Amino acid sequence: MTRTQQSRAYWLVPCTLVGALLTTLPQYAKGADDPREWLQKMNKALATRNYDGTFFHLSGGRVETMRIVHRVRAGRVTERLQSLDGSGREFVRANGELTCYLPDQHTVLVEQRQDKGPFLGSLPQFDASVSDFYRIEALPATHILGRPARVIAVNPKDQFRFGYRLWLDEKTAMPLKTQLCDSRGQVIEQIFFARLDMPENIPDGDLAPTVHTEGMRWVRQGPSPDNASAALAAYRASQLPPGFRLTIQGAQTLGGASAPASHLVYSDGVATVSVFVEEQPATAPGVAAAPGVAAAPAAQPGPPLQGLARVGSGYAFSTIVQGHQVTAVGEVPAQTVEFIAHSVKIYSGGELPHH
Amino acid sequence: MSEQIREQVSAFLDGELPNTETELLLKRLTRDGELRESFGRYALIGEALRGAGSHILTRGFAARVNLAIDGEPAQVPGHVHQARASRWWRPLAGVTVAAGVATVAIVALQQRAISPGLRAASAPTAQNASVPQSSAAAGAREALSYTVPVTSTDAPAALSPGRLTNYVFAHSKYSLGLGQRGVLADLLIEDDEQQPAPIQGVVQPPSLTPDVRVAP
Repeated sequence: MTRTQQSRAYWLVPCTLVGALLTTLPQYAKGADDPREWLQKMNKALATRNYDGTFFHLSGGRVETMRIVHRVRAGRVTERLQSLDGSGREFVRANGELTCYLPDQHTVLVEQRQDKGPFLGSLPQFDASVSDFYRIEALPATHILGRPARVIAVNPKDQFRFGYRLWLDEKTAMPLKTQLCDSRGQVIEQIFFARLDMPENIPDGDLAPTVHTEGMRWVRQGPSPDNASAALAAYRASQLPPGFRLTIQGAQTLGGASAPASHLVYSDGVATVSVFVEEQPATAPGVAAAPGVAAAPAAQPGPPLQGLARVGSGYAFSTIVQGHQVTAVGEVPAQTVEFIAHSVKIYSGGELPHH
Repeated sequence: MSEQIREQVSAFLDGELPNTETELLLKRLTRDGELRESFGRYALIGEALRGAGSHILTRGFAARVNLAIDGEPAQVPGHVHQARASRWWRPLAGVTVAAGVATVAIVALQQRAISPGLRAASAPTAQNASVPQSSAAAGAREALSYTVPVTSTDAPAALSPGRLTNYVFAHSKYSLGLGQRGVLADLLIEDDEQQPAPIQGVVQPPSLTPDVRVAP
């Protein structure tokens, strides 16, 4: 019911006013103030709008300045993410390829990749199952970049996942500031825009890399063998943290490896954990090659890997299970990757667990 | 950082700086690395004072305040190690294709393993586990350190950056939403820290040169 209709109801049928309000208020709450609605607006804005902004990325006690340019033209997305600090690195996604310009390494990496979301990231649809593990709430509105902003918190309900706090522009729903937080609310990583333009048109020149590629080495990633998935289908996590389920399984040829690894992807709808299972002997640690890049010919079997490491805002954990190298990695707390990696089992001829 | 700039940064962080001044501040930050560095410290402190906090700040807040005020870092044991640990994998997009020699040295930086006690405690113990036993101590462990240096050549090797980066790259294809943003943003960041000496007893990997294909 619109405000005009509300007014009419008030003048014409006063006795129905209370009833009208009772039905109108929940709708208003769901439409205008429901934090889920705002998250969906943000998703739509990030995926469909043109924008050109500069933001600060704070993580690990360090601040980096980056520029993002995102253009949607005739349904095709072209996107450029550029470091404005020392490295001069740039990522450009166009025509189904992600090109990583790494001038400090004199290298250009090219991957075929149809990413589902924009570089800046969006959040998935929040259905009932996601709500079982995240509490979504609207915090008091505020101002940021001199603009009124909605503040939405996506709080994890347990310690197996991280949460987000999002400052969304009241007018465009673009995230002007985002924070990645642990279950105690402590900030792990955040970005905030110093400048954000949403132009009608973005010229090609703004999406072209500024890196001079002359003399640089180009490396392309090759596809994984098609028949590898079936052969590697017998690996599964036997137990999972609440809410996580298998979403993707396949084979991945990792750099330096002579055989493909089983790649399992587990997700709770927001957080994602990849699990890689490789038969030993493993490749030598320190073998330097991107995924899919042809392996070093003299790769010697290395010792098994074991331990925990920070990876950006998440963790990786590697262990040995039944003679296999198992590595879990994701933007989740340490205990989540540990839990999943430890629970991986090899099901030879038996029934796979249902998750 | 001059008083004027300090006030501008403060207003910016509070969302109260007019757009025109924001633009000027940004331009200045973009071309002035020293100012940008100061801004970073100031921004972190500002966030801390607002109660946002972070595990970095809780570890070294006093040091950061001193750094911003005096330009002299206070000694906070573990801070440098923690900062390195959080970023060690970032440059490896390049390192992975730039041959293994550099990686050999970097490997030493990140040698890490979980102690037998921790490993046992973190193993899942119930079919419908809600929180593993390690969860309760997770905060304390994070505040201290997860790392226990490998001291025996018989022990399993720790995760190596070159190899782990391959996992991270492969994972980034499937990481959802904002998580992927973090992965990509981290990959953009240059690593400028020195690599520490190898930990005693760590098995060093061989140096290898990958076979790369050159695009036409």
